[in-house]
Amino acid sequence: MPSIRKTLSEMDWFIVAATFSLVVVGILFIYSSGVTSEGVLVSGEYLKQAIWAVTGILLMLVFAVFDYQRLRDYTFVIYAVFIVILVYTRLFGRLVNGAKSWIGVGELGIQPSEFVKLVVILFLANYLESSRQSTGGLRRFLTAFGIVSIPMGLVLVQPDFGTALVFIPIFIVMAFVAGTDSKYVAFFVLSMLITSLLTVLPLYERIIARHRIPLLFVFYEKPYSYIVLGAAFAVFALALSGYRFFREKYYAGIAFASALMLISGFASMAAHAVLKEYQIMRLIVFLDPSVDKLGSGWNILQSITAIGSGGIFGKGYLHGTQSHYRYLPQQSTDFIFSIIAEEWGFIGSAFVFACFILILWRCFVIMRAVKDRYAAYIVAGIMGMLAFHFMINVGMTMGIMPITGIPLYFLSYGGSSLWSIMSAMGMVLGISTRRFRS
Amino acid sequence: MSDLNRSGEPVDPRRLVVLSAVFSLLFLWYSGYLLYLQLVKGVEFKAKAAGISRQTTVIPAQRGEIYDRTMSIPLVLNNESFAVDLIPAELPAALRDTFFSKLALILDRQQDDLRKRISPSEYHLYQAIEIAESVPYDKVASIAERIDEFPGVAWHVKPKRNYLETGSIAHVIGYVGNITREEYKVLYNKGYGTGDVIGKSGIEKQYDSILRGKDGREYRTVDVKGRKILQSDRMIDPPIPGQNIVLTIDRKIQLVAEKALGPRMGSVVVLKPATGEVLAMVSYPWYNPNLFGDVNASKEYLQILNDPNTPLLNRTIQSSYPPASTFKAVMATGILGEGKFPAEKKVLCPGEISYGDRIFRCWIKRPGHGYLDLRGAIAQSCDVYFWTVMRDYVGIERMVSYARDFGLGQISGIDLPGELSGFVPTPKWKENKFHERWLGGDTMNMSIGQGYMLVTPLQLANVYALIVNGGVVYKPHVLKEVRDAANGALVKRVVPEALFTAPFDKEDIRLVRSYLREVVTTGTARYSAPAKAVQVAGKTGTAEVGLADRWHSWFVGFGPYDAKDPEDVIVVVVMTEASNPWEWWTPFASAIIFQSVFADQTFEEAVDALGISNAAIERRNKVE
Repeated sequence: MPSIRKTLSEMDWFIVAATFSLVVVGILFIYSSGVTSEGVLVSGEYLKQAIWAVTGILLMLVFAVFDYQRLRDYTFVIYAVFIVILVYTRLFGRLVNGAKSWIGVGELGIQPSEFVKLVVILFLANYLESSRQSTGGLRRFLTAFGIVSIPMGLVLVQPDFGTALVFIPIFIVMAFVAGTDSKYVAFFVLSMLITSLLTVLPLYERIIARHRIPLLFVFYEKPYSYIVLGAAFAVFALALSGYRFFREKYYAGIAFASALMLISGFASMAAHAVLKEYQIMRLIVFLDPSVDKLGSGWNILQSITAIGSGGIFGKGYLHGTQSHYRYLPQQSTDFIFSIIAEEWGFIGSAFVFACFILILWRCFVIMRAVKDRYAAYIVAGIMGMLAFHFMINVGMTMGIMPITGIPLYFLSYGGSSLWSIMSAMGMVLGISTRRFRS
Repeated sequence: MSDLNRSGEPVDPRRLVVLSAVFSLLFLWYSGYLLYLQLVKGVEFKAKAAGISRQTTVIPAQRGEIYDRTMSIPLVLNNESFAVDLIPAELPAALRDTFFSKLALILDRQQDDLRKRISPSEYHLYQAIEIAESVPYDKVASIAERIDEFPGVAWHVKPKRNYLETGSIAHVIGYVGNITREEYKVLYNKGYGTGDVIGKSGIEKQYDSILRGKDGREYRTVDVKGRKILQSDRMIDPPIPGQNIVLTIDRKIQLVAEKALGPRMGSVVVLKPATGEVLAMVSYPWYNPNLFGDVNASKEYLQILNDPNTPLLNRTIQSSYPPASTFKAVMATGILGEGKFPAEKKVLCPGEISYGDRIFRCWIKRPGHGYLDLRGAIAQSCDVYFWTVMRDYVGIERMVSYARDFGLGQISGIDLPGELSGFVPTPKWKENKFHERWLGGDTMNMSIGQGYMLVTPLQLANVYALIVNGGVVYKPHVLKEVRDAANGALVKRVVPEALFTAPFDKEDIRLVRSYLREVVTTGTARYSAPAKAVQVAGKTGTAEVGLADRWHSWFVGFGPYDAKDPEDVIVVVVMTEASNPWEWWTPFASAIIFQSVFADQTFEEAVDALGISNAAIERRNKVE
């Protein structure tokens, strides 16, 4: 085990610099969000965030020095413990904004779902590494998905749709990097896309487009949807047996496409049964925020106005007009990016972008350099998680992604998410210093 | 791309290339869009942020009205009224004192009542906060004339719930109030807002989603100070009014039941066994629901909350009591069903028997009832008969099973919030709770509905509904129909739904019915319960609660006994608590209700027709 001094000397200073910059910017703008337009400070959130940041840096250091390999034998146990914690949270957790996602005493509380993401990454990396040669391709892929879907389901029933969604990119990126058959990955990604399209289609036609898109109703209106599914099944069975007998490639292609249709059709039916209309509505309102001006559309419109009015240089720190809780309710958590973009303009937002890109780029470099597969898979998972949070949150503030309420790592106010990403960065740093070990 | 990694490196570099390409494309897209928003459209957004903006006002939906089953006049209406809001951040700190004193003067309210609606930490908020409700139109108009003196003040229409009928119906209908922080947290996902009015109890709570409708919105273009600048640029999303509700309650029967119970702590249920419709539901004391919406009535509200007689409690479903002798009908069904002790066989009642180290006294003193068969034991409500037969021939396990088959110990699922399930004790429960064995004495106590056993008045009504229906119980309900607010068209009609069917022999049940008739013709209730207009059957009950000279008193009856059409039958439960000075009133109250319903008479006419004199009403002796 390398000494602390060795760890420090071989640390990836790019990641450290980017992380620290983002955390500091985060505290600055959480402060800004708590100041009224008269310049009066009304929120102590920035102080709490600063305390979490300091403890978070300690966590990062601990995970950087601690040898990630030593945890490896216990990943299953940790995973199992966290599943139990998630079940406990669902049953006895604190109800915040309609979801049971918090546990804790009094003022102190944590969101276990934030840490579960890391636990899943560790356990999945372990499984993918140890199953690399022994288990068959499809079985490995499905088992890996099973590992992800148990905690994902438990987070989904809290219900915390946004956080549950993060497990999907973690799974996809890790499975892809771990060398599972790219056909499976492609199938999975495509079926996810088609499922979500089919799920929002009826509401999209009714509320946003306000007309029916020709022929598409066959996918969601009974009995046509059953006929489509039946046909897809028949085609699938035929193509599969065709492939069995003739081994022709295009039979495999047809089977692939029809299975895609079949699975997405069923999954979207299930989604319609589980999701309420207002939930789906929240997902598509960004396509035309004006349909729900007072509800979630309001946040989007205000956020876009804030970002756009920032211009190149911004209105200056603490001088935003749209933000400061005047128009945006979740300024310090979900919409932290819009206040940065408003007050620091394009220059400031580009700096935030650059820091994220820098971290992701270093992750690629480390994955390339590292000799240990387990370590590479961990980095892949963290990368997928970080990139997805960035895309969804920043996309939401710019009005090009649905509202799911997941935080922007490093910047958003919140102890659980800050601690979990700092721990993750610590792991990446630790992996980087030990990259030559095989 | 192959799934084998030939290069020997831990991660296939080609896959990393693909992945980094995907990431790069995404970041390119995002950076490009950011550039577009801030550079290309920046000027436009700047103008928007600085200049005009859209203002949205909520147009509240009319809450549905509530009718009784005759649909003649509404029980609950909405009155037009306004609420005054303040956007705290727009009120300069220096002006606060004069502002509130002037506003209080106009609104005719206490200055403190207005001030305390905004906590000091909220003075920076740009969200409108409601500071006064139930403001009439003329006062809003006088604020509007002097709006320059009231920076940050706005108002909106907020209909006030007006409960026209303020009697015992209050427990059925319930009341509304502003949503609390806790309720909002729970209902966050269901489209509720922070300033919403929400049903707090009764029908108002149970069917809040039907009654509330959906608020509309009005969009206007305003300048930064919130002044309208373009009258033409107005868009309206019309509100969808809530739907009207028709109750199964019959206001005439409700009124008679209310008067028949009188000022006695207790309750009345009138149930239609053929459908499960509740025709009347009275719980005394009740409260005036209008007090909850009245700003000047906070003292009265506190009084209601702290009243030791708990007027907010709906005693028909939220209180449970020992059923006492009314439970003997359940036990009689058990004796017949088990068949181990013939109904004709007689038992000697010497007035008291000893068991263990205790003496059990029948309600009549020595020499007791003499020899009685089952029919006589029910008619005379003889305890000794049930003690002996239940203990020696049926046993506790079977007794528990019969009680459960009658639906006791389980909620009925009536469409009102807060129903209790009552309680059926078991030997195992007693062992766990008191670490004592279940004794023969416990079995004896339970056989006459005493001891640990608890039922709600509604559950008891269901027990007798089962006897009337010959085994089926319909789910009790108070919602009859949902109707469109605009044109009164029927939206939904509640269809009777069988709650459960008990596995009893029809002939046994018929026998029990005939025994219950005898209670009224020759038995314990022969002087008190008969109504003239209809043949009634039923059972008395007097429960000991450990107080000297105080008892819970029950009468449960059904009629017409000889009904041709099961639709005609009603079950009446009257219950008075031991907290009242003792009087044997429940059978009289029930007789008045039966008389009034079947002779179509008012309370006073029914009392006259039955010849119930003041002397009878005043009778204070214990008879059972």
